[in-house]
Amino acid sequence: MWSVGTPLLPTTVRSAAELPLYDMGVTDPLARLRRREPATLHEIVHQNTRRLFRAAQGMGFSSAEADDLVQDVFVTFLETLDRFEGRSQVSTWLFGILHHKVQERRRSRARDDLHDPVDELFESKFDAKGKWIAPLPSPDRVASSAQAAGAIADCLQGLPPLHREVFHLREVEELSAADVSNIIGRTVTHVGVLFHRARLRLRECLDGKGWSPPR
Amino acid sequence: MMSCKQVSTLMSTGGLADAPLRQRLAVRLHLMMCDKCSTFKRWLELMGVAARAESHAHEDEAPADLEARTLRRLERSQL
Repeated sequence: MWSVGTPLLPTTVRSAAELPLYDMGVTDPLARLRRREPATLHEIVHQNTRRLFRAAQGMGFSSAEADDLVQDVFVTFLETLDRFEGRSQVSTWLFGILHHKVQERRRSRARDDLHDPVDELFESKFDAKGKWIAPLPSPDRVASSAQAAGAIADCLQGLPPLHREVFHLREVEELSAADVSNIIGRTVTHVGVLFHRARLRLRECLDGKGWSPPR
Repeated sequence: MMSCKQVSTLMSTGGLADAPLRQRLAVRLHLMMCDKCSTFKRWLELMGVAARAESHAHEDEAPADLEARTLRRLERSQL
């Protein structure tokens, strides 16, 4: 039985980061994980706690809620470990669990909006030949100011939850569209549409918050 | 020749990375000639930079004992 008091690292390993978790050549990491080896579990908690906490906050949860969510994610991870087939990275699996927890907390699954008013706004910026009708204001001059940096937090707050989640996973966690597709259970194409809509909404919001020079 | 709308949509959906080489080259060529699409691209890049900076600022806010508490909870859940 694993206990917190159990020495977590072999004496030859100086830090948890040196553990060859993904070194298939030594011991099958999946087998070590299935055996719930303390060092392996400890390493996974260590590698992913901050990232999951940051993601939960990035999806709009408070520190206390994010704290709870992170712990719940790992408990579920341990409970469902036997279903993990090792086809994806452990972190992708954890983000998938986080996604489900977030959905549960929001009680209702975010609607699959086939129609979104932001699409029309985007369309309205182009003529019949698909050329920009008017140039966008350049964001360069003010985007680096402290005030403008604060604006992004406000604008992210205003995004629909699923847009915000996709934006965070793609842009901040820098996950591929295929990974995000696995995590949220939508097609890669749909992930692209959600990412596109999130960015359009953000741009409109930031434009209104001084990210571009006065016209 | 790709239109501004096609180029902007391809950049914004994040689909450019997986697009065929010919399409990626067409986008690059279009951007060299089109200030408007280049401005849109700059917006996308800056929003990413700002969101990462904003989010990484949160990283330090994770409570120092969260890892230890999580491990204790995992231990309890295995009993």
